[in-house]
Amino acid sequence: MKETILVVDDDPAIVNAIAITLEREGYRVLRAYDGLEALDLAQDPEVKLLLIDVMMPKLDGLSALIRVRERRNLPIIVLSAKSEDTDKILGLSMGADDYVTKPYNPQELAARVKSQLRRYTMLGDVHAMERGVLVNGRLAYDTVSRSLQADGEPVRLTATETKIVDLLMRNPGRVFPAEELYRRVWNEDAYSCENTVMVHIRRIREKVELNPKEPDYIKVVWGIGYKMERH
Amino acid sequence: MDTKWNGTEVPAEYHAAPVKRGRAVRAAAGFLAFLMGVSLILGSAGAAAGWWAWQRGPQDWRQAEDWQDTASFRREISSYLRQFLSLGSGRQIVWYDSVYGTYYASSAGTISIVTEDGICQGAVAEPRLLEPWEMWEIEKEESGYDAGAYRQKVDVADLDRGFREDKNVLYYIKNSKDAQRTYSNGKKESFFESAQAQGYNFYLVFRDGKVSIRKDGQPQDVYGAGVYNEDSLWFLPGYENFPAGEALQDITVCMAVREDPLRYFSTDADGYGYMESGSLYYVKQEFEAAQAFYRLQAFLFGSGVLLLALWFLLRGDARLAAAKIASWTARVWTEARVLLLAGLICMFPLSGICGYWSLQEWYYSGEATYFFEQVPSIFSLRSLAGALENTPLVLALFWTLWLIYNDHRYNPKTERRSLWRLFRASGLKRPVEKRLNRGAVLLAVAVFLTVGEVLYALVWGTLITSTPPWLLWTLPVLPLLAAVWGAVCLLSRNRRLARDFGLLADQVESVRAGNLAKPLELPQDTDLQDMAEALNDIQAGMKAALEEQTRSERMKVELVSNVSHDLKTPLTSILSYAELLRQEDLPPAAADYAKIIDEKAHRLKSMVQDVFEVSKAAADQLPVTLEQLDLAKLLRQTLADMDGPIQRSPLTFRVDLPEEPVMIVADGKRLYRVFQNLIQNALQYALEGSRVYLTLKTAVPAAGQAEVSLRNTSRSELPEGVDFTARFVRGDGSRTDGGSGLGLSIAKSFTEASGGAFRVETMADLFTAVVTFPLWKG
Repeated sequence: MKETILVVDDDPAIVNAIAITLEREGYRVLRAYDGLEALDLAQDPEVKLLLIDVMMPKLDGLSALIRVRERRNLPIIVLSAKSEDTDKILGLSMGADDYVTKPYNPQELAARVKSQLRRYTMLGDVHAMERGVLVNGRLAYDTVSRSLQADGEPVRLTATETKIVDLLMRNPGRVFPAEELYRRVWNEDAYSCENTVMVHIRRIREKVELNPKEPDYIKVVWGIGYKMERH
Repeated sequence: MDTKWNGTEVPAEYHAAPVKRGRAVRAAAGFLAFLMGVSLILGSAGAAAGWWAWQRGPQDWRQAEDWQDTASFRREISSYLRQFLSLGSGRQIVWYDSVYGTYYASSAGTISIVTEDGICQGAVAEPRLLEPWEMWEIEKEESGYDAGAYRQKVDVADLDRGFREDKNVLYYIKNSKDAQRTYSNGKKESFFESAQAQGYNFYLVFRDGKVSIRKDGQPQDVYGAGVYNEDSLWFLPGYENFPAGEALQDITVCMAVREDPLRYFSTDADGYGYMESGSLYYVKQEFEAAQAFYRLQAFLFGSGVLLLALWFLLRGDARLAAAKIASWTARVWTEARVLLLAGLICMFPLSGICGYWSLQEWYYSGEATYFFEQVPSIFSLRSLAGALENTPLVLALFWTLWLIYNDHRYNPKTERRSLWRLFRASGLKRPVEKRLNRGAVLLAVAVFLTVGEVLYALVWGTLITSTPPWLLWTLPVLPLLAAVWGAVCLLSRNRRLARDFGLLADQVESVRAGNLAKPLELPQDTDLQDMAEALNDIQAGMKAALEEQTRSERMKVELVSNVSHDLKTPLTSILSYAELLRQEDLPPAAADYAKIIDEKAHRLKSMVQDVFEVSKAAADQLPVTLEQLDLAKLLRQTLADMDGPIQRSPLTFRVDLPEEPVMIVADGKRLYRVFQNLIQNALQYALEGSRVYLTLKTAVPAAGQAEVSLRNTSRSELPEGVDFTARFVRGDGSRTDGGSGLGLSIAKSFTEASGGAFRVETMADLFTAVVTFPLWKG
């Protein structure tokens, strides 16, 4: 039996769809249809993760989130039809661990749930504290063994991909133009390298990102280069 | 300014409400008290100031105990004594008189010079006979004609007869050397010794070169410290520095003065007629008159103060009367007031010149002839103070000023009549160009008049009347000043006009620039008022239209935003269950249906997202993050990102990008969407097997510009006259293919939101999209 997840949305169809998806992944799902109900059920210590909609009757999702946070330390994923950057920032600043906009991809949602739970259970893991391990959000890169873990699970990378990840993980936030990346990874003069670099970046994303089309970590800075987003 | 009450707020009741009777009486009484009080105070203070300025009456009336204690009296007594000594000695005795400023002090055979600072200079100890020419000089100075014979004639007989008729002074003169020279008007020497005769209280005895005085039986101190100086009361021989001299040693003069002197007639020098005499009577008279005058003025002043106090108590009601008066004076033209005031002010120094009460009096006095010589003295403090004595003028001036003040206080500017205002008001009705021309005409007339006046003054002054040059240059000063004033007025008006024009031009510019909030506020009476108002109307109209537009635009965005939000919720369920459905084990046909549902739901999702963004962009509410970036690199990245679909397509991409960076400032994410949309558009609509040309050129349309163009040959015929960047427009007119119809619209909106320009050109089947950005100048 895997962890228990509380799913809250005023649309029972959506709650049901999410529940089916998650139960197939082996989770136990509790259902709530408004904020107050969510507060009640969230008291259950068995609940290990909260998936909550923003716009709900009685008590909206963000208020419920704040109240749950007062009592419990558990990962919370906010679901919302609002897709603006400002809405996302608001949700995250209220204490949400992740923000998923509707309509979402059920597979991606399941992956995000899994990711949050793994990070939550891994929290305080001695492994992450070891020397030479660079941690950035879901990702942990061991500079000694030159291996990458996502949510604690090892990611299999090719030699070139490892070099790229090495460079990006060591310099989170820094933007690398394709030419520089190419020169430092391939040790060759860069000439029409954009496609090559992009192909490798895309491959790393597919291995690392939860939604490779909307990456959270390895991002393109349009007109400038590539970077590892700092989390 | 026009609607303001000059300085003070005036309650409406002063103009509107009917006034109760008791209040009206109080108002009248209060105002009357004010009128009388101020008039009395001004009149009395002015009269006193005038007396002081002109030194009317005895100046020492305040210190003097009685009329015999005044300087005038002492001067009279001194004069009596001098003449008695002349009688006694048989020669003319003259001594310096500090008041009248005559010459030397001399007694027969002795000269004592008392200089103006009162110190004896070279008093001659040895008696000396006056040289005949010296005597003559003095005599001439005194009487104005040859006194040689005159002196011989009047010396004894006339003086003696004159004094014998004197009703105010009793005297006894004797010369111990010459018994013949004994004169008296009836009393013996012993009479003066007792010094207690009825009606006579002042006794003076000159004996052995010294004077002793008894007044009311009390001996008086005559010489003080014994040295004559400015502070000495009596100007009589006997001081150390003003000795009587040997010649007077033998003469004894006794005199008694009547306590209450009389006015009488005496025969004149020739013995033919009578003349009014009794100088002592006038001394007493003047002294008492001065006392009475100042007492009266003090009384009037006090009454004035009391009346003002009464007014102060009633001042609330008195304002009613003032307002009433203001309603009368409002009818008087401003120009008339100015003239009246100017006339009175001119009268003021004139009346001060010599204390004349009217111009007429001044003119006939002959002083007017010397007017210009007196100009400097007109403005002396003394003459101004002297003018205060002219009570009617002072009161007229004060009340004129008060009426004007009162008028300004209660009547708004617009209600005051003035030729100038009429003139301006009539002018404001004319078109502005005529008004401006009139200003120029006025200036020309003013200049012409000034030049004419100067020329006239020059010609008239030099050729016709040989006026002294300073007068020549003084005459045109007034008209010149008037002309200069006129010119200054016009210039300042022109300046205001220029300023208003500037403001108007600025306002037109700022309205054009889209500033619709602030209306132009010009002064009410400016020439450009109509234009400013018209402009403000236009501005207000534009503002209303713009607000309406913004409001409806915002409502549209809100509507679209709400709709897209409301669409997303059911869409979420559809997508979720379509996904679940696809995971089920379905018969082939059902699986196919589920696949179609899933695909269409995804397209719906992207359309909802696009509609939302397009509507935000259309309302200028698209958030953008502008940064410096390399456009060529962005295009390479976009191509690399879309490499998969491009490779899979039956199209060939011909890409021509410069090697060097093309730096622009834009929102990278948005710009990526622009080119992504354009490439997708090409992939979707381009003829199979054709080539797509993507080029980036700098400095092609213009220097400092970067231009990206994407050309492709359309699969279907392109309709003419269609704006492809409009929302929901598609080249083939169908709605069944993959596009939302928003791709180009989004590309255009995003480009413009990033600061670039977007256009689409079609020629036959050739479709060209052009994105232009200004190059970043580093």
